[in-house]
Amino acid sequence: MTDETTLKDFISKIKNNEIDVVEYTYKLIEECKKINKEYGYFNTISEELALSQAKEIKIQLKQKNKEIKNKKLLGVAVSAKDSICVKGVETTAGSKILQGYKPLFDAFVIQKVKEEGGIIIGKTAQDEFGFGTFSMNSAFGIPKNPFDSERSCGGSSGGAAGLSRKLGNHIAIGESTGGSITTPASFCGVYGLCPTYGRVSRNGLIDFSNSMDKIGPIGKTIEDAALLMNVISGHDKNDSTSLNVKNEDYESYVKKSIKGMKIGIIKEAFGSGVEMEVEKNVYNGIEELEEEGAKVEEISLELPIKYGIATYYMIAASEASTNLAKYCGMRYGASEKLEGSFNEYFTKVRSNNFGEEAKRRIILGTFARMAGYRDAFYLKAAKVRTLMINEYKKAFKKFDALVSPAVSILPPKFSDIEKLTPLQHYIIDVMTVSPNVAGLPHLNVPVGFEKNLPIGMLLIADHLQEGKLIQIGSAVEKGK
Amino acid sequence: MKHFTTDIIIGLEVHVELSTKTKLFCSCQKAKKDDIPNSKCCPICLGMPGSKPVLNKKAVEFALKLCLALDCGISPELIFSRKSYFYPDMSKNYQISQYEVPLGKRGKLMLKGGKEIGIARVHIEEDPASLIHPAGLKESTYVLVDYNRSGNPLVEIVTEPELGSPEEARDFMKQLITVLNYLDVFDINEGIIKADANVSVKESGYKRVEIKNITGFKEIEMALLYEVKRQKEEAHKVEQETRGWSSEKGVTFSLRKKETEEDYGYIIDTDLTAIEITDKWIKEIKKIMPELARDKVKKFIEKHKLKKEDAEIIAAEKGLAEMFEKVAEEINPILAAKWLRRELVRVLNYSKKELHEVEIDEKHMIGLLKLVENKKITDNVASKILEKLVEKPFDVKEYVKKEGLEAVSDVSELERYCKEAIEESPKAVEDYKKGEAKALNFIVGSVMKKTKGKATPKEVNEIILRFIR
Repeated sequence: MTDETTLKDFISKIKNNEIDVVEYTYKLIEECKKINKEYGYFNTISEELALSQAKEIKIQLKQKNKEIKNKKLLGVAVSAKDSICVKGVETTAGSKILQGYKPLFDAFVIQKVKEEGGIIIGKTAQDEFGFGTFSMNSAFGIPKNPFDSERSCGGSSGGAAGLSRKLGNHIAIGESTGGSITTPASFCGVYGLCPTYGRVSRNGLIDFSNSMDKIGPIGKTIEDAALLMNVISGHDKNDSTSLNVKNEDYESYVKKSIKGMKIGIIKEAFGSGVEMEVEKNVYNGIEELEEEGAKVEEISLELPIKYGIATYYMIAASEASTNLAKYCGMRYGASEKLEGSFNEYFTKVRSNNFGEEAKRRIILGTFARMAGYRDAFYLKAAKVRTLMINEYKKAFKKFDALVSPAVSILPPKFSDIEKLTPLQHYIIDVMTVSPNVAGLPHLNVPVGFEKNLPIGMLLIADHLQEGKLIQIGSAVEKGK
Repeated sequence: MKHFTTDIIIGLEVHVELSTKTKLFCSCQKAKKDDIPNSKCCPICLGMPGSKPVLNKKAVEFALKLCLALDCGISPELIFSRKSYFYPDMSKNYQISQYEVPLGKRGKLMLKGGKEIGIARVHIEEDPASLIHPAGLKESTYVLVDYNRSGNPLVEIVTEPELGSPEEARDFMKQLITVLNYLDVFDINEGIIKADANVSVKESGYKRVEIKNITGFKEIEMALLYEVKRQKEEAHKVEQETRGWSSEKGVTFSLRKKETEEDYGYIIDTDLTAIEITDKWIKEIKKIMPELARDKVKKFIEKHKLKKEDAEIIAAEKGLAEMFEKVAEEINPILAAKWLRRELVRVLNYSKKELHEVEIDEKHMIGLLKLVENKKITDNVASKILEKLVEKPFDVKEYVKKEGLEAVSDVSELERYCKEAIEESPKAVEDYKKGEAKALNFIVGSVMKKTKGKATPKEVNEIILRFIR
């Protein structure tokens, strides 16, 4: 099953009955279980759903249903980050407070995947509600780096990225609020595409920070990521923030010439604080872009690098603290013995079932939006966010894309991460938070290995220019 | 301390449920009062993880109509905020409301006497669920939650503290309900209207007391009357606090002492995009805005030459005003106005019914008043027919014919009845001649009996006088 065939080949084999979809899915689930034992990428393996989907596909194939031949993901395994609702399948967002919760409806992206014949194999491990960089803030297991199980696979979509590396014929649905697609993609050596805010519907996504949450694909190849983007992007009337813009064929951008494209190297993203091996490999990737005919130039983007982290944490924590208010043990998820007043009851539920990082962000976010502080924190952050967008917009008048390392360090050991203070922890996100705050699409492109660990390059493009990212990302061959 | 011009200062925050078909942020049908609890809800109004609100544009249209009717300045953008607090009736533990930028600002509403009350703001928000205390508010050891109401569209109307008495507050509510009825944005039978009232009196140095959650506009006046009396009598003991209103006991009671303003930690709800309220949209709404009571009053005075007082009374009730306009097309407006505002209202009051609850319509009124106008029946007979019409409508003309109720217009016939009556009551004639003017009434009454009320007393009076002088 680790045979390196392309997904296109695989799909046509399913369509032509060269591969029995039920038999294959059965084996696939067994492999998922095996991988999960070793690496902990799943919170839930949705065996029942996957097999019933496979059986349905088999029936349709037997009946020679005409439409089935047009399905873009026929028989392809698709995993979803645990914060994405799958009807009837336990969905916890990595939190004990949602343990046992089975949603009543499918997220928009899950509906789309099902419509295109994709097989939902399970819910991938993540930091609780997306609060983290290393997938260690989870109520359940901690996913391990596919290259070194003593190291982190990044976060918060850690399970999604690790599984993308380990499992063949599979694409993962990840989610990013401040870098949760590109950071784990970088640490796991895969392609992670975080789309423009609003390009993919958030309907059915358990909220972290509503104005920044974005669902996107993580795949072993850029083709895989582009294929899944074609399926999940588009307008959804059930998400008010979903953009009503024309659909695009993202696959058509793969391997398109980048000759004459202008790429800006973010000056502040290199040098101090960036590990040498990381810097070296990212420059190798840039060189490759030049060889392919792109024009490269340095650009200073002081504001995003200097104020990105602060702005991000103010907005994200403020929004998160209201989003998490609904978890009070009344209608779903964890509950406690019914006693005392409502205040006593929900305090007990929340004290016993939220993790430490969730509590830290609730306290931080609640503080930042209280009268007397909201002007200085929440509202100021909103203003800085506008300034950041303006600075990026100015840059995109000149450049097709901007480039930086995805993460300034190699995947760290769990033992080293444990020594970090919360603030040191937050600073790891410095490269990725700003495009997230600005709602800009960005892509992790693997550019090489050091000490048998992958290194990723971050490409950022203007709003709705995911196509360009795929175009440029597919020009880099070194990291494959 | 602020300088107030009145001894009593009252400000109201009124919550009105808009009569849209569906809820504010989901496509759930709005529940009726007798629907099974928790039968009209979905993941959105239940606040399930992953659900996202989608705005009901109709609710915005209704709220915009209200803003225009209250002469508010309208915000160029519609922005929603999250008002955070934990309470068991809140599905998300935050309420989607509006904060920094309300939909409407700086409006006004005129009271009966012409005094204008400032409207500080009008905004849209969602209703929480309803809580049911099976053993009573204080006694129950648990509550049940019914989410049928959760997510219903509300508008909150906040007045300036310019109401000078409980009576003015009641009148304000009455005027507001008139506006809501004209706009057809509030269902008086199914909808809920609630108010929080801020009350302070000079005697206590204008210490602000808030009374929460008073349902129904008559209750509002009662609660305010009680509270004003309490504050005046216990002036030195009045504290800044929040009080509740018990309609059963007719008293307000302390809920919590309030040292600081509650902090709801408002942030923008970014699940909902800011919606531009364009001039084009406002123009479209202005086009479909119905005539309001104030327009009707003007028209009734100018076109139909009614007295101001009559015009105001008729215009105050939408149904009555609409009936008047139709009736006045065929009947002398002055006569029509007299019959609608006096007789019809009297009969309705007597039978304890509202106009919209009875079947009588303009056709019946026109039929009846045509006969009155042409002196085919007397006022007396007409009043009696009206009483019957309110019970159950019928064809007036046929009924009059069948019952032989046409007025006696033949003078010789009337003279015959009068002569008979005079002959039958020698004592009354004698008394009258002695100077007892009242004795004449006895003879008139006797004639009226003989004619079954089909004669006009005035005419009968004249004939009798002619005979006995």
